[in-house]
Amino acid sequence: MSHRDDRIRRDQIRLARIGMSRRQFLGRGGALLGGLAIGPAVLAACGGSSGSSSSGSDKSVSISNWTSYITDQSKSDFTKDTGIKLTYTEDINDNDEYFAKIRPNLSRDQSIGRDGFVLTDWMANRMINQVKWVQPFDPAAFTNKSNLRAPLKSPGFDPTRKFSAPWASGVTGIAYNIKTTGKEIKTIQDFLDAPGTKTALTEMRDTVGLFMRSMGIDTAHPTYAKAEPAFDALEKAVNDGKIKGFNGNEYVSDLGAGNLAAAFAWSGDVAQITLDNPDVRFAVPDSGGMLWSDNFMIPKTTDKAKLATDFINFFYDPKNAAVLTAGIKYISPVEGVDAELTKMGGKAAALVNNPLVVPTDEFLATLAIFGPLDSAEEVKFDKRFSQILGSG
Amino acid sequence: MNERDDQGRKRARLSPWLLLGPGMLFLFLFFFFPLYTLGRMSLSYRPSRFANPKFGWHWDNFSNAFSQYGSQFTRSFVYAALATLLALIIAYPLAYVIAFRGGRFRNILLGLVVVPFFTNFLIRTLAWKTILGDQGTVVGVLRDVGILGPTGTLLRTPLAVIGGLTYNFLPFMVLPIYVALEKIDPRLIDAARDLYSNTWRAFRKIVFPLSLPGVFAGSLLVFIPAAGDFVNAYYLGNSKTSMIGNVVQDQFLVQTDYPVAAALSFVFMAIVMVIVVIYAFILGTEDIA
Amino acid sequence: MSTHSGTVTSTRGRIGRRLVDLAAGLGLVYLFLPIFVIVMFSFNQPVGRFNAVWQRFTFDNWLHPFKDKALVDALKLSLEVAVIATVIATILGTFVALALVRYRFRGGQAVNFLLVLPLTAPEIVLGASLLTLFLEPHLVLLNHNFALGFTTIVLAHIMFCVSYVALTVKARLRGFDWTLEDAAMDLGANPTRTFMRVTLPLITPGILAAALLSFALSIDDFIITYFVSGPSTTTFPIRIFGQSRTATPPQINVLASMILFGSIIVLAVGTLLGQRRERRLNKAT
Repeated sequence: MSHRDDRIRRDQIRLARIGMSRRQFLGRGGALLGGLAIGPAVLAACGGSSGSSSSGSDKSVSISNWTSYITDQSKSDFTKDTGIKLTYTEDINDNDEYFAKIRPNLSRDQSIGRDGFVLTDWMANRMINQVKWVQPFDPAAFTNKSNLRAPLKSPGFDPTRKFSAPWASGVTGIAYNIKTTGKEIKTIQDFLDAPGTKTALTEMRDTVGLFMRSMGIDTAHPTYAKAEPAFDALEKAVNDGKIKGFNGNEYVSDLGAGNLAAAFAWSGDVAQITLDNPDVRFAVPDSGGMLWSDNFMIPKTTDKAKLATDFINFFYDPKNAAVLTAGIKYISPVEGVDAELTKMGGKAAALVNNPLVVPTDEFLATLAIFGPLDSAEEVKFDKRFSQILGSG
Repeated sequence: MNERDDQGRKRARLSPWLLLGPGMLFLFLFFFFPLYTLGRMSLSYRPSRFANPKFGWHWDNFSNAFSQYGSQFTRSFVYAALATLLALIIAYPLAYVIAFRGGRFRNILLGLVVVPFFTNFLIRTLAWKTILGDQGTVVGVLRDVGILGPTGTLLRTPLAVIGGLTYNFLPFMVLPIYVALEKIDPRLIDAARDLYSNTWRAFRKIVFPLSLPGVFAGSLLVFIPAAGDFVNAYYLGNSKTSMIGNVVQDQFLVQTDYPVAAALSFVFMAIVMVIVVIYAFILGTEDIA
Repeated sequence: MSTHSGTVTSTRGRIGRRLVDLAAGLGLVYLFLPIFVIVMFSFNQPVGRFNAVWQRFTFDNWLHPFKDKALVDALKLSLEVAVIATVIATILGTFVALALVRYRFRGGQAVNFLLVLPLTAPEIVLGASLLTLFLEPHLVLLNHNFALGFTTIVLAHIMFCVSYVALTVKARLRGFDWTLEDAAMDLGANPTRTFMRVTLPLITPGILAAALLSFALSIDDFIITYFVSGPSTTTFPIRIFGQSRTATPPQINVLASMILFGSIIVLAVGTLLGQRRERRLNKAT
């Protein structure tokens, strides 16, 4: 009797395991594969979590920048010339957003995995003077520093350019699809009245600046009290549905795909857009456009300050700066670029006559910069802008 | 040896906890404890704009959250409710056909329902941006037919956002309804057919009520993530369609106003938890798996 | 299983059935519409930076799917995170499931409920709370603050995967005949041997299914990862989100299509193998 019970039990178990041999194999195989994958992954994790800018013996540098600010040509020229390996990531889409990304780590002196980044003037001011998260350039390595154009040599936020060096300057204006709007856009009012979907920029100083200028309000010494009418006009435009949304670089894709009639835009992007959609034009409003600069800085947590300085130094050589400008079509901060462009001939030489790339003094006179805001004022501006962007 | 109960389980004191320990400890550390830090952050304030927040029983954050963002809260729940309803309308026939007419192909059909969701969530939403684009076929047809005005657009409208939400969470509605339908004893259906002369009445009186647990489960699984989503509103919406997810994302990851952002998340979480607890009390948690 | 598709005779009934079939069919079309667009645009040759306008057909993108280095790096990172998170979550989750299914003990119901909570919490709350955890300057247990990066992402992924694994394994274990363990032990095996040679092989399919689910969830996760990733740890979904605003190379579509087709193949193979096992079991009885 017990023999039979035993046999039954053995059969029970064997039965349950019959279909298992295949699965066992799969299971073991899977575990083995998993193990093989884990090994290197764990090693990578040990190396990866401490940030990429670790040992200084390897000559490599990691830079974060906005899009359309470099070409493959310039990248390879840099590595060829200096022997430094370049990791270049276009992950900056908006000043505030990038600040939020690096804040948790930099505020606790932890690495952000980058040796340099590029941010607009007002954010550079915050970095240098308010939160102090950047370190100075290596003066010995920045031999081309003197090539910086005179008007940019000593801004209020960095009088000796110890911490920041302009990468490119540009103009904020209006990009529009002439087929959809039906006519040229010359003023902000034209923009608002044009048919179709229109967007403005999440960059507060660009959007509000254009509105302020259209109402004759001075942007060089802004205060919330003076700027309030511009905010009201912007809010009204949003409520009336004249401005449908706010974005960063997304307008490039939307204009190209025909999903937008017009958008506040940055000067160098139009060349990109016209590749997909030749009907797109760029215009600076009659009341004036906004002029801004994006600055290269070195975060305080990297030990590759010298290599990072080598990087910016390369682009302050007028020859390299000219090649860069010909590629990205934004205003160069380097003296002597127009001469080099002319030497390059062809399309590059033609850029000398494009005021958006090589601005004449008359053109510059029509542009304005958005002056500095102290903390209290900045909070008021940001709060109101935030409300308009997110309010229902 | 211990006796086993009707589910085959043995009674024990210590061994289960030894097994459970590591997993539950992990959940405690990285799910429950963070809720505490979220709460702490929601009662904190910023001594200055870029300083780290300090704790201070700052109840203002909550009143600000409601007064400033009340419309986003409402909008999120309204959009989520509409998306849930639409998902139900689309999913039910699908689940019904698979359960009752699938036959040998059931598993394949179920696989077909799930397969589209092996592509990345963001890429799927971007694809909708292409499909609903101003120059696209859909808009073209709708304009010709007259549903949309001559310059009407689908992108950057609440409709596009709700459509995106419906699409992205559809399988979560199909699968629970399918499971519920499949569980129905076929003899009940035959009996219903005999009792009522046509299938529609049989459906309405017998099949549908029996599938309700699946409908509820699916609704919960669609409503909650839809209410908290920000990706669809981001790609397909406009300034006036921003949902609470967009506000939380903006406050945490752009404005870095952590205390306010935390307060908003906390309130949202509380509302969702209330819904879940009510659901659990009514139907029990065994069915969710 | 009785077939109940047979005996409807009324015309109204037939029309009704056709309508339901049509609705289901439209539903399937709706499900696959974006997939069709994604795959189609992987064959597009865009002129600008964005792959939003159809220009012309080309095989180029499929011939050079790994052209965008940043995208490939992001995918690699996603895979690393997914593997580590899956392994750990599967182990932790399986133990939890085993405890719940094998034993009846005080607190079992509560544990069940607690397991379900993370699944019902909206992702944005999970992400936000984890961010506040990692920002907390005085972590109670460790006097060290985590830099946002690889570690924080893996920890977050393990957290939401553990619940899924535990509940999936638990569901698969329902109906498991635990008397087999008793039988083995009656035959003289000790508990460890019983577990390793009887129980474990039989529950492995359930564990594998849970692991696959966890892997898929980890690779696709965006919202939670977005909150806890640092400035230099870019996973595949995060890369797409960031990049979608500045450039959308067709390689994104190619890689996504590859993952899609790969998953279909894995599913198909899994189903076929499952059917073969059924047939073998049927033959044995």
